[in-house]
Amino acid sequence: MQYMLLIYENEEIFGGPEKTGPLMAEIGPKHFALIGEMGAARLGGGGLKGTAFATTVRRENGEQTIHDGPFAETKEQLGGYYLIDVPDLDAAIALARRVPLGRDGAIEIRPLIPLPPGVTR
Amino acid sequence: MSTPVGEGALDDAFRAVGGRIRAALAARYRDLDLAEEAFAESCLKAAKAWKDEGPPRDTAAWLYRVAERTALDILRRRRTRTENRPDEPASEPTAEDRLTSDDAVIPDERLKLIFVCCHPAIGGESRAALTLKLVCGLTTGEVARAFLLSETTLAQRLVRAKRNITEAGVGFEVPEPEHWAARLSAVLSTIEIAYAKAHEDAAGSGRHAGFAREMFDLTALLAEMLPEEAEVLALAATVRFAEARRPARIDSTGAMIPLVEQDPALWSQPMIAAARGYCARALGMSGPGPRIMQMMIHALWCGRRSVADPPPWKAVLAAYDILLGLRDDPVIRINRAVALAEVQGAEAALIELDRLDADVLNDFLPFLAARADVLSRLGRHDEARISFDRALALGPGEAERRFLERRRADLVGK
Repeated sequence: MQYMLLIYENEEIFGGPEKTGPLMAEIGPKHFALIGEMGAARLGGGGLKGTAFATTVRRENGEQTIHDGPFAETKEQLGGYYLIDVPDLDAAIALARRVPLGRDGAIEIRPLIPLPPGVTR
Repeated sequence: MSTPVGEGALDDAFRAVGGRIRAALAARYRDLDLAEEAFAESCLKAAKAWKDEGPPRDTAAWLYRVAERTALDILRRRRTRTENRPDEPASEPTAEDRLTSDDAVIPDERLKLIFVCCHPAIGGESRAALTLKLVCGLTTGEVARAFLLSETTLAQRLVRAKRNITEAGVGFEVPEPEHWAARLSAVLSTIEIAYAKAHEDAAGSGRHAGFAREMFDLTALLAEMLPEEAEVLALAATVRFAEARRPARIDSTGAMIPLVEQDPALWSQPMIAAARGYCARALGMSGPGPRIMQMMIHALWCGRRSVADPPPWKAVLAAYDILLGLRDDPVIRINRAVALAEVQGAEAALIELDRLDADVLNDFLPFLAARADVLSRLGRHDEARISFDRALALGPGEAERRFLERRRADLVGK
């Protein structure tokens, strides 16, 4: 089963929207260690630049508009993700537990909607 | 073999094996709905077949074989429905099914089913409901009454929980031992909640009455399957200590008798012996966990042999002090205050009770009853009366109501 692990943290701790602060230098190697351990279970993943660089395409009353900034103002922002393929939710939880966080934060585990046969991700 | 079976006997037979068969089917097909549906259908078939021909030698094996086949039929029906083909007729049990007597044909997957139902991905309130329904075989109506919910609300919750299990991909496995601490604790809390509901009702005649038996069986099952888990054994012991006292819990007028006033001669000694068996094993393997301490408090009380033995208040208070260090919750604080009233006096107990959050606990019967008792000992009768009235307004069971009314009446003229 495929799951997305969505990493939510307060992005301000990472030193600006480029996320090049000291905490980032500290956490990066931890992610690479985890990637090594995930092996074939990891289908993809990546870190996201800060929400200051976000652009949102929004549809409202049938009309499409483009805004700068994130979709919603929240205390914790989506900062990165992993796409994994593991046997079940417990395996996904086990990996999510090991995702490094700068400080407090949360990893949301979301099962992916299966694709029709023959379509690849 | 040709004796017809009464409907009550059939229901008992179905309930006795239902958990095991549903669990085996759910493990095989990884589909809780299919397991429930197939078992229900096989019970209908059994009711019909056994009425005409008498029950088979091994009813469990018969039901399982038929349920297995019914599950396959249901799967085939589901598939053909989408392809617009007519339903195939469901197969009938063969002569071989009627003669088989091999209980071992049903793999015991109940532990897996319990762990699935108590997965942390499922809402806390739904866990107990799902376990009671799938493992213990309670009807949606019975579970709804137990949790004071409407049947519609509970049914919706169960549907959501089951969909969660399928869609979120909860694995049908007993988790690895390193994850047991978190998962097992959810399982044990589920049983504790369900048993507490049964135990609240001293007369054993209320809407939760059936729970006591289910929790009794479920703890035995868990202890058999996880013989090295001290907390599991402790819970099995606790349930038995508490059940042992049931014959002494109401008087001839049907009023509840508080623990300290019960006649220990009426307690079931065989049941206490069974509890002590689990107790000794649990103590042999670990230090004091919260459930171990709960068990010890029950063990202290059940050590009394007659009304002449002094109540073990001091030891009970000491045990509550340790327990409070392990698990600080209002229920434990209330029980500790009751012991404190006996050891240090009502004044000390009232101070403890008033430290608790009255806004939350004013709808909680044990809090109101404990406070009413302490206030009446202190001679603060008007306040005691208010607490008794509040407790009575919660609509307690018959036995509890009679007890509270009598205590309230004792205040008159004082």
